[in-house]
Amino acid sequence: MNKTLLLASTLVAILILSGCGAAEPTIDDTAGDDKKTEVPTDVQTESVGSDDIVVGEETGASSDNAKTNDTSMSALENKMNPIYFDYDKFKIKTSQEDSLYSNVKMVNGDAKNFMIKIEGNCDEWGSDEYNYALGLKRANAVKSALITQNVKAGRITMVSYGESSPVCNDKTQKCWSKNRRVDFKLLP
Amino acid sequence: MKVIFISILFSLVALASDATIEVIKQSQRMPSLAVEDSTDSYDKSLNKKFFKAIVSDLKVLSIFNVSNTYVKNDFDDDVDVINMKKDIVIKYSLEDNDGSTNVNLKIIRGKKAIFQKRYKINRTSLYIFVAHSMAYDINKVFGSNDVAWMKRKVVISRLVGRGESEIVLTDYTLTYQHVVVRGGLNVFPKFLNNKQNEIVYTNLSGLRPTLFKLDTLSGKSQKLLTSDGLLICSDISDDGKEALLSMAPNGQSDIYKYNFDTKKLKRITKYKGIDVNAQFMDGNTIAFVSNRLGYPNVFQKNLDNNEVDQMVYYGKSNSACSAHNEYLVYKARESKNAFSANTFNLHLISTKSDFVRRLTASGVNDFPRFSKDGRAVLFIKNYKNQSAIGVIRLEYNKNYLFPLNIGKIQSMDW
Repeated sequence: MNKTLLLASTLVAILILSGCGAAEPTIDDTAGDDKKTEVPTDVQTESVGSDDIVVGEETGASSDNAKTNDTSMSALENKMNPIYFDYDKFKIKTSQEDSLYSNVKMVNGDAKNFMIKIEGNCDEWGSDEYNYALGLKRANAVKSALITQNVKAGRITMVSYGESSPVCNDKTQKCWSKNRRVDFKLLP
Repeated sequence: MKVIFISILFSLVALASDATIEVIKQSQRMPSLAVEDSTDSYDKSLNKKFFKAIVSDLKVLSIFNVSNTYVKNDFDDDVDVINMKKDIVIKYSLEDNDGSTNVNLKIIRGKKAIFQKRYKINRTSLYIFVAHSMAYDINKVFGSNDVAWMKRKVVISRLVGRGESEIVLTDYTLTYQHVVVRGGLNVFPKFLNNKQNEIVYTNLSGLRPTLFKLDTLSGKSQKLLTSDGLLICSDISDDGKEALLSMAPNGQSDIYKYNFDTKKLKRITKYKGIDVNAQFMDGNTIAFVSNRLGYPNVFQKNLDNNEVDQMVYYGKSNSACSAHNEYLVYKARESKNAFSANTFNLHLISTKSDFVRRLTASGVNDFPRFSKDGRAVLFIKNYKNQSAIGVIRLEYNKNYLFPLNIGKIQSMDW
């Protein structure tokens, strides 16, 4: 009987103690009834930001062959002209037609074996999605122009960088107009 | 007479529940509050940083007249003589506890301690989250409207060079900063769930825009989708199961709905112009930005039919929005000259009233995002060469700015 009573008392004590621990945050007994010790949930889970976790961009290994290709592509890319646009517009201006046709000549000539990446860009007036869509509209206008000049659609990919890839950072109209552009890049 | 009285009563109730016009009246005199540092021996530079952090948070609460004066005083002593006339005194102390840090808080009102609490952190770099938690608790003690948004993490894309950006985990004051994605152009990060331990973001460094999912605890990354031209996660449903995307597989930006479990995509809009920035609203409705009137403006659409309605009638170029239930905050260009000084301001409307409330007064205010409870709006402010995060306390009609030291904020979520 005594053994049973002792066992039951021990079990009750364990249950009470473990129950208290689970239901309440740790209590600092030295500080009075209203002083609680708390580990804020968001802080505790902040190991999210542990300093050793950084996802980097994967880069592929390059061969000598690839380097030769790169040089050739870079040289051709440097000869291609940006196409500039008006504020909030994606129609190719008459003033840009010479630049465009010079690029078309290159794309159908020396660069005919390369894929073409058309990059749409915008000025700094807005970091919102609309700016990215506007950059894409500009890229798409150039893509359509290339297709009408017998460049196969399958050779062309597009991307919009919005305002994220400016060539000029001054706060002037002239500078902003340089950023409203489409760039041509070549891919193997 | 009874009818008139009931009508007035109903009007008052209706107006009181409309956040577009409800601004809590500031009392003639807010309670004065001072902060005392009771730390015995600890890193002195952190002491001062912590003092500034808690003072800043208390100001953002908008319910106290907070003193900037730094005062040292023992935790168990009476308030310092300089603070004798203050209505409320906050005491804190930092102490080392076997490698971790304890922060003790005491709230004193009228010479009486009315609240005490202890906080623990494993790394001192997280001290700002303790300051936010303390401010949250102090606000709660005085019975003000919930500020749980204060304790949430914020994720930003920070432009660090031409075509180069980083995804950074931070807090609403940009004090804590930890880079989780580095290299290339990574934009439009969004928290995938309420725990804030997973994000999705767009990588623009490859052949095509690619949407990645990243577990920020394990660092595990997963490619979700690729699309030519444009691919942005605009909003994620509260249960974390569905996303609204801006995609352009055929060079045409439209709204798509994506289910993270089934991996199924559903096209929501079919318009030959620009449709972007879709946001879940109450019920089965979304808000989104479109140029279908010839300029960017905000529209709404029921997901079950093809009807599209204009939502916003004020502003010349309304190119960004955020929705919370029936409320919408949007960015509008108000000046005639697209490049004038006073260019973009944020405005708040409700689908249940015609009121428009301007939330910002000057500069370029961009990328508004409601807090989960809809009580605050976070936004990006760019002024001259400075990029900052702004927080708008809708109930108090007050804005607070927190500048970024390096780089420019491209986008954010919280």
